[in-house]
Amino acid sequence: MVGEALSTAGLALAVVAVMIGGTYVAAVLDVLFTRLTMRVAVRPLAAAALPLRRAAQLALQRRTLTERPDAGTWALAPAVLAALAAVSLAVVPLTGTLIPVEADTGIVVFAAAMALVVVAVYLQGWSPNSPLSLVAAYRFVAEGLSYEIPFAVVLIGTALPARSLALVPIVTSQEHLWNVIRQPLGLPVYLITVLALSFWGPLALPEGQDVAGGTSLELSGVPRLLWRVAQLNVLVAVSAMGAAVFLGGWLGPWLPGGVWMALKTLFLLALLVASRQFFARVRTESFVVVAWTVLTPLALVDVFLAGIQAMVAAR
Amino acid sequence: MIADAVFWILAVLAVFSAWRVFRTDSMVRAAYWLLVSFVGVGLIMVMLKAEFLGVILILMMGGEMTIMAVFMVMFMMNPAGLNPMIMVHQNRAAMAAGFGSFALLSAVGLFARFPASVVAPTARATAELGTELLGDSMLVFQTAGVTLLAAMIGAVALVSVRGRFGPADEGSDAPEQQPAADADVDSSAPPSSTGPSSSAASSPTPPAPSTTPEVTEGAMPADHSHEGA
Repeated sequence: MVGEALSTAGLALAVVAVMIGGTYVAAVLDVLFTRLTMRVAVRPLAAAALPLRRAAQLALQRRTLTERPDAGTWALAPAVLAALAAVSLAVVPLTGTLIPVEADTGIVVFAAAMALVVVAVYLQGWSPNSPLSLVAAYRFVAEGLSYEIPFAVVLIGTALPARSLALVPIVTSQEHLWNVIRQPLGLPVYLITVLALSFWGPLALPEGQDVAGGTSLELSGVPRLLWRVAQLNVLVAVSAMGAAVFLGGWLGPWLPGGVWMALKTLFLLALLVASRQFFARVRTESFVVVAWTVLTPLALVDVFLAGIQAMVAAR
Repeated sequence: MIADAVFWILAVLAVFSAWRVFRTDSMVRAAYWLLVSFVGVGLIMVMLKAEFLGVILILMMGGEMTIMAVFMVMFMMNPAGLNPMIMVHQNRAAMAAGFGSFALLSAVGLFARFPASVVAPTARATAELGTELLGDSMLVFQTAGVTLLAAMIGAVALVSVRGRFGPADEGSDAPEQQPAADADVDSSAPPSSTGPSSSAASSPTPPAPSTTPEVTEGAMPADHSHEGA
């Protein structure tokens, strides 16, 4: 009983450590990519300290308030977003043996948690009682309805070869061939939809300049810090899941499993973070149209091909 | 012991938030209290070994409640959804319906015979559910699914092309504005044109006719004669 409780606490600690560490790494990567694309000399120590300095600045900043906000849901929004990231990260197997939560329906738990991100962003935009913030909240709902289907469908595609919704079989099913090669449409569609889901880079639509910052318009001080941290938490969670279901998770030669998993997660995290430097912000209308007319059909083709492959393999 | 405690916490949460749905004064708050209630029920289903159904319930309701909030805000003409408003109407009928359905469900709970078999911890509930859905019951579920899909496509087709404010793919029509006969109004812009140009026609400083190159003979408005009046 005590041993069980201790190991549960240890696993929870592992999830929190991965989330905090990953968030810090993501913040440093963002600084690095910004410096590199601006051709500014990078001093490693300064780059490593900058996210902490910014966090300290925000933590000390005085918070501004709006007129008659819904204080409860406003305070809740970043907590909900971070909690959803933690739930999604908890079902990702970190190595063959270090599995925080071994759920039979791990990938469905992940999809459910990520579906609720819309609720967190909507509440963030709605609560301050501020027009542009509210516009951005509704914008994200429209966007969420559009990216949710291709996102869920490419995830289901990865479950087909494993014949299971649990994540350990999904990773071990990639022993001979990773899903990124077996289902070539999967990872690109996944990366685009998770960029929209974590409102980052070219798809930072609810926080765009055209709505003056949108959902984060009225945020300052500690709430802004928490919202940024929660957003990076989501980026870390979707990178870890992408590494597990498309890049073979902990599988790999020579190095121990945990190192492979960390490297693959870091690779996807770097791709997602760097997208901010290389792509212009997409217009909401174009994204919604592309999501329904290009991404959704591609995702359906992906799951159809995965199904045929699974049927042939089962023969 | 721990399982009991978790169950009671979730049950109280589900009932409390369901009660709050009717006590709050905002549609968005009501929708999300209902979501909290559904999450409580979904987690209880996970505890009952119906893991897939519980998680799917939460997944569906997350999107569902947001859509519900958006639709309520749209239909109630309360643009923000933050303005306080009375959320309960027809109290007598609602109370009668509420007590009636509560009595009915309680009667089912008290008098129905539920299976008393204990689910083995090793039971593969998700796999069994999948086999059932795509095995013996496939025809029923697929028929229902395809019917729902057809209904959804039909609804989208009905509302998408010709909406309340004109064809959806041409932008919305501005409300018809008849200028007063004696007013100094530039009527060269066609009254049936879309947004910007018709608002330009009613703006205090209308553009001179010679600077609007899009105006052709066919597009000249019917009330052109007002210009001379």
